[in-house]
Amino acid sequence: MWHIAKRELYDNLNSLRFALATVLLLALMLTNAVLYLREHPKRTQAYHNAAADAVKTLESRSTNLYSLATGGPGDLHKSPSPLRFCAEGDEAFLPTRASGANYGQRIANMPPVWRLFYPQETPNLRNIRPDFTTLDWAFIVGYVLSFVALLFTFDAISGELERGTLQLTLANPIPRHIVLVGKFLGAFISINIPFAISVLMNLLLISTSDAVQLNAEAWGRLGILYGIVILYTCLFIALGLLISAAVRESGVSLVVLLLIWVSFVIFMPNTLASIGSRTSVPIAYEKFWTQRMRLADEAREAYRDKYGDSQTPPSVHVLGEYVITEAEEYERFNEAYLKQQIEQGKRARAITRISPTAIVQRLFESFAGTGFERHLQFIENVQRYARQYREFVIDTDRADPESLHVVGIQEGMSQKPVSPEAIPKFKDTRNLNRDFNTAATDLLLLVLFLVVLVSGAYLAFVRLEI
Amino acid sequence: MLKTLIRRELLDNLMTFRFAAVLLITLLLVVVNTVVLTQDYEQRLESYNDSVKRHRQDLRNSKTYSTAYLFIDRAPNPLSIFNVGLDKRLGNYIGIYHGFMPTLWDARMHGTDNPFIAFFSSIDIVFVFEVILSLMGLIFAYDAIAGERERGTLRLILAQPIGRGQILLAKYISAMACLLVPLILSLLFALLLLTRSIPLSTADFLRIAGIVLTSFAYLSLFYLIGLLISVATPRTGTALMLAMFVWGFLILVYPNLIRVTVNPGGDIQARVKTAHNQIQQIIDEYERERQKFLENEGIAGETSEFSKALGFYHQADVNPVTLTTYIENMSVISEIRPDFEKYVPVAKRYYNFVLPLATRTVEKAWRIRKQALDEIYVRQARMDRILLKLSPVGIYDDATQAWAGTDLLGLRDFFEAAQRYRKIIIDYLYAKDAFSSREWFVADKGAVDWSTLPQFTFERSDVRTNAKRALPDMFLLLICNLVLFMAIVLIFIKSEV
Repeated sequence: MWHIAKRELYDNLNSLRFALATVLLLALMLTNAVLYLREHPKRTQAYHNAAADAVKTLESRSTNLYSLATGGPGDLHKSPSPLRFCAEGDEAFLPTRASGANYGQRIANMPPVWRLFYPQETPNLRNIRPDFTTLDWAFIVGYVLSFVALLFTFDAISGELERGTLQLTLANPIPRHIVLVGKFLGAFISINIPFAISVLMNLLLISTSDAVQLNAEAWGRLGILYGIVILYTCLFIALGLLISAAVRESGVSLVVLLLIWVSFVIFMPNTLASIGSRTSVPIAYEKFWTQRMRLADEAREAYRDKYGDSQTPPSVHVLGEYVITEAEEYERFNEAYLKQQIEQGKRARAITRISPTAIVQRLFESFAGTGFERHLQFIENVQRYARQYREFVIDTDRADPESLHVVGIQEGMSQKPVSPEAIPKFKDTRNLNRDFNTAATDLLLLVLFLVVLVSGAYLAFVRLEI
Repeated sequence: MLKTLIRRELLDNLMTFRFAAVLLITLLLVVVNTVVLTQDYEQRLESYNDSVKRHRQDLRNSKTYSTAYLFIDRAPNPLSIFNVGLDKRLGNYIGIYHGFMPTLWDARMHGTDNPFIAFFSSIDIVFVFEVILSLMGLIFAYDAIAGERERGTLRLILAQPIGRGQILLAKYISAMACLLVPLILSLLFALLLLTRSIPLSTADFLRIAGIVLTSFAYLSLFYLIGLLISVATPRTGTALMLAMFVWGFLILVYPNLIRVTVNPGGDIQARVKTAHNQIQQIIDEYERERQKFLENEGIAGETSEFSKALGFYHQADVNPVTLTTYIENMSVISEIRPDFEKYVPVAKRYYNFVLPLATRTVEKAWRIRKQALDEIYVRQARMDRILLKLSPVGIYDDATQAWAGTDLLGLRDFFEAAQRYRKIIIDYLYAKDAFSSREWFVADKGAVDWSTLPQFTFERSDVRTNAKRALPDMFLLLICNLVLFMAIVLIFIKSEV
């Protein structure tokens, strides 16, 4: 078996395609590192500044529990992932913050209580540059490496069949599946040599730079990503061998492979996503906005109808309940709209799982901590923190026996100052366990594809007539 | 003789598996994507119609001139199905009033704009062609000469009394005839699907013809690249590898690689800052003149009785990032208290003075802003485009965008029309003496009648303009074709068999 693998390997190492693939992958990986090093420090700096500002604003409010209860925690920023060079995902389109503040109209001459909202950002609105795909690992692996894998395998069996050398090999007392495994290994190693070299160069460049520090967890994640790359290349090698054995003619096998590649890699992810996103369309943003405004107006009018004309102002408890319900309603509304949008995003992504490239894109995003799933995690973090913050305000208020315990009303709350350290601060964390959970389905699907293709290649080769 | 050769090649090509496979996949991709794109277009059109209706309603609800909501909408371009360009990306509605210049940079977006699906780029028909036609061209060409050389049939042909140039010509003509079949057939299917739900004008059909012509030149270019490789390499295997890597580089890698090259970075901020200062000066000057007028009339001060009487809302600002400049002069009141009635003549004089001033000020500011934004963003986009043209994909994309009218120039046409419309509206207001009328600030003696307001209409540029914009790129494609063909002939004549 090793004999065959070695023979394949030597054949490949001397070929034009090996040289071209090496140059191409190396160029891409180096570009990737350069681009990342140019942009990442700026991004991290901007994040740290913004987060520090947010904390400072929050601490400046600590003189008064009431201003903490109405002003809210302010902007909550998403921390950029140090592994963004692996998968940029849709980072460029996603908002980088959520916000907990009390902007909006005053109610009965009081500031309203803070609520969470998720700002819409349309960064592309002024972008007149041509479309670019970002040169991240996901692109290099998903598109280029799979293409290279096909070019290495399309003639692995059909080529030998045409030249007649396959007959010679099989005349030796070697079982066929050993031949197949040998070919598989040969192709696998010869694809992995240029890729490993370029990845090492890429990481070398990134790790020697002072601007970026990768910790142990990041390296672990990179290891997992490399494992995914191996699975993915195996998939395409198996596909190449399968078609090569089934078609018998190199020219035809290449055409078939290219057409499969073009449909599954280039077209399917995008076309299927647009079909999938059609199945669950959120209402237009203006409509959502109008509805929200109407809701606020209705609440205000209801309040005015009840208490507006009475000479004696309503009791503190009534006021407190009113401001709290208003904020809750509003926040629930924001969340409902966000859910609609997320649902559409999920639908669009679910259907693309037919394409292994889309699966790998998702896996890369999950483990690199970027993109859609990461944003969902961020939103979860934000919502957890919001609960924590509210509890903190209530608990601090409870601890003061002089207070009336009506949150959201100046007279009803504790008047004691709060120590700035005691206020919970927002921490945007990533959780590897959770990443594994979201990735499990995709990983299993990828393995399933691989098993199907490998057994297909095996069957096709074993039953091949020579 | 040429005829015989062509017939032979044609039959050779047509009867192959690759022809059938390519035909099938092109049809499939074009049809599926056309269906998706048509639905998408219809959705955008519906959103546009909704928005127009809403904006009409908003205008009708405006009681005074100063609080009028006048917005215009940009209709989706039906040819964006062929090449979407900037049509879906840039803003599609914008406000029109005297203290604001409607430009491409300030337009906003209606409809569902979900950040969670923005990642999936919409695949238009030109993109399908970009990928498939180039692949087709190379697949048909890589063994055209190298294959015959390997099989030894080339010698047999050359033994006949035929010029080498003629052989190449025969191969080129027959292959192109074959390759045109999937192109034309899939386009016909696409048009069939399109015209069922989207009405296209004659001009649109001419534009589509332009796109087809460009696609033809693009296809031929890739066939010639393949032929060049085939002529220059001794073996089919090598030719194939080279062709595939050339394809991967030109289509996949290069268009994304140029992002590295252009990064003006630091001096953007400096440039924006200078422009910001200049505009701020213009606004300051406006503010000074306004204050002078207020003092002369003895009504200065934002908290004065005058501003209370008028429910004054005044703002003149420039955004430090986008340089958006706007001057708002509004009265948010439903009636004037009887004891404030004495201010009405002053208010009329005030608005009559300040509104033309504001109009002039924002126009002046826009000239500075336009220059700055052109230098920063437009120049960069142009630079990208020029670099992209080193790959045929870039030329093809540009030319088809120009035909479809979804390029920057096509989008600018709309915003220029918006600026002309703003002029028309201002002239209309002058003609109605609106600036010095009571309805400008209060509607207690009757609301504004909007029925005579000029309507906004926008016609996409005519076919001739589209052609003019597309021609340079088409010529470039043509020249590339000719140069390649000559190179191939030269190499083939010199080569030994």
